[in-house]
Amino acid sequence: MYTRDYRDLIGGGLLLLLGLFVGVHSLTSYDIGTLRHMGPGMFPAWLGFLLAGIGAVILVLGLFRPGERIEPNYRQFFAVILGVLIFAVTVGTFGMIPAVVLLTFAAVLADDKLGAVEAVILAIVLSVLALVIFRVGLRIPLQTFAWPF
Amino acid sequence: MAILMDFFDNLALGLSVAFSWSNLFWCFVGVTLGTFIGVLPGIGALAAVSLLLPVTFHLDPTSALVMLAGVYYGSAYGGSTASILLNLPGTPSSAVACLDGYPMSRQGRAGVALLMSALGSFIGGVIGILLMMLFSPLIVDAALSFGPPEYFTMMVLGLIAASTISTGTPIKGIAMVVLGVLLGLIGTDIETGTPRLAFDLPELFDGIGLVAIAMGLFGVSEVIASIKVIRSGHIEKKITFRSMIPTRDDVRRFWFPVLRGAGIGSFFGALPGTGGVIASFVAYAVEKKVSSEPERFGKGAIEGVVAPETANNAADQTAFIPTMTLGIPGSVVMALMIGALMIHGISPGPQMMTKNPDLFWGLIMSFWIGNVLLLVLNIPLIGIWVRVLVIPYHVLYPAVLMFVCIGVYSINNSTFDVYMVMLFGGVGYIMRLVDLQPAPLLLGFVLGPLMEENLRRTLIISRGEFTIFMARPLSAAFIVVTLALLAWALWNALPRRSAIEGAR
Repeated sequence: MYTRDYRDLIGGGLLLLLGLFVGVHSLTSYDIGTLRHMGPGMFPAWLGFLLAGIGAVILVLGLFRPGERIEPNYRQFFAVILGVLIFAVTVGTFGMIPAVVLLTFAAVLADDKLGAVEAVILAIVLSVLALVIFRVGLRIPLQTFAWPF
Repeated sequence: MAILMDFFDNLALGLSVAFSWSNLFWCFVGVTLGTFIGVLPGIGALAAVSLLLPVTFHLDPTSALVMLAGVYYGSAYGGSTASILLNLPGTPSSAVACLDGYPMSRQGRAGVALLMSALGSFIGGVIGILLMMLFSPLIVDAALSFGPPEYFTMMVLGLIAASTISTGTPIKGIAMVVLGVLLGLIGTDIETGTPRLAFDLPELFDGIGLVAIAMGLFGVSEVIASIKVIRSGHIEKKITFRSMIPTRDDVRRFWFPVLRGAGIGSFFGALPGTGGVIASFVAYAVEKKVSSEPERFGKGAIEGVVAPETANNAADQTAFIPTMTLGIPGSVVMALMIGALMIHGISPGPQMMTKNPDLFWGLIMSFWIGNVLLLVLNIPLIGIWVRVLVIPYHVLYPAVLMFVCIGVYSINNSTFDVYMVMLFGGVGYIMRLVDLQPAPLLLGFVLGPLMEENLRRTLIISRGEFTIFMARPLSAAFIVVTLALLAWALWNALPRRSAIEGAR
């Protein structure tokens, strides 16, 4: 426990900044129009400042309230995000199956439960599953393998 | 008479649509997947429907909706299985079933609990469907006279209700709705053609994809948060048919809780912002209150399993009433249903009901088929699902990620969409850490563009005067209810703070 609610300080602060940015950006970059004929900038500008206002309230309330500790699962976070990133990078050039295999290898890093051998088995199973569901079942024309060189 | 004839015409139309081979097939796929996913702890209806959204790009709109709906109400059936056998709710709306379901299974009465909850679910579903068939045409008739001011205020009411009632802190819920609306505005402004908040990224000119947001927020970030938390269990006993036979006492205790549960569920399901979760909690509380022996609750009272399970299934069906007739989703899953239709260029609401009656009535009739299939899947075939329960999460989550990545990539063969999933997965996890709920965000995202459009039209009609909202009786009523909700939320927030001050 902390004496201040740091979750709200961070969350409220981020919303405040984001809202201000959107509000100012909409005011300066887009036509605001009139109430009778709203331009593209009016609605986002209102909402941006509304969001900033709510963010400020959340932040201020968080100052006067005890809060819980923030405990991020760094390892799980980075392993899963890395997996999705690797998939995005590889799927276009190497095809679906290599991307799935690499995604699986990155994803199992998030947990200690699977060793190298099990990870390979899981990657094979998931590749087959992907083929069966997407290629055979749904007949989606995805490139299975590709060799870019 | 004419109304009655219309009604039967619609029924016949719905039956012919629902009984087409492809819709039967997708209904079966939907309810089976729904049960499967409902049984698996850690993947709820929301994640399941998000995961399956890409598939709908490759189906016709009716089949897509039939399947997604099947996943949704199917998961409510499956969810109770995990609650009863393992004391782990498979879906949030089945959490209450743990309270008495798990004690029953400790007493060796798991079979009875499973049978009764499946039967209750079925009856709840049936009552929900009947109400939907009865009330939808009436609501459509009323809604056909709605103009832009009514739509705008109704959407505001729906969003405020959804963000203040069901989620943790009302003010954070509202913040998330606003953020969602802003995200929904990204892309080319329909009226003027100006790209907004797109920062010169051509991929953003069409807006952010609903699929990418939903999968990031409810798929990827859910996985990150769950890996260390979810532990699978193991089941000692097999469920035999003999063990399912209820005693005379069980049967006697079955009917009233079912009817009360169905009533409570239907009511909360149709309201915006409330749904299966709240309905099941209320149904449980009501049973405990009306019971002559409240001390039995928590120790394996059959009423405590049946009533909430009936309620959440009834709620799942009636939730479709406002979604389909007005185009106002009461929950995130319903917002995803609307999104799935919008992908096909159909916007739900009274116009859809008159222009595409086949879709609406076909969907309703598929509910009948789906609920019968679910009864078969959940009583004779319960053994399969019991085995599914032991699939460990560390094998499951890579599969979820695989499905997310290929699914989103398959829509446009676009890696940009996969990057968006990654972004929203990361953002979603950070939001969880700072206690901001992703659910209201998605509601705002879906309704945002519609809200802006209706606000613009309203102000054109009124020549820039906001008084029009109070001048029209229905929109004035919506505003009054919205303000009352906000006042209630504020009122609820105050005593808690003073309690903390007092404790110091």
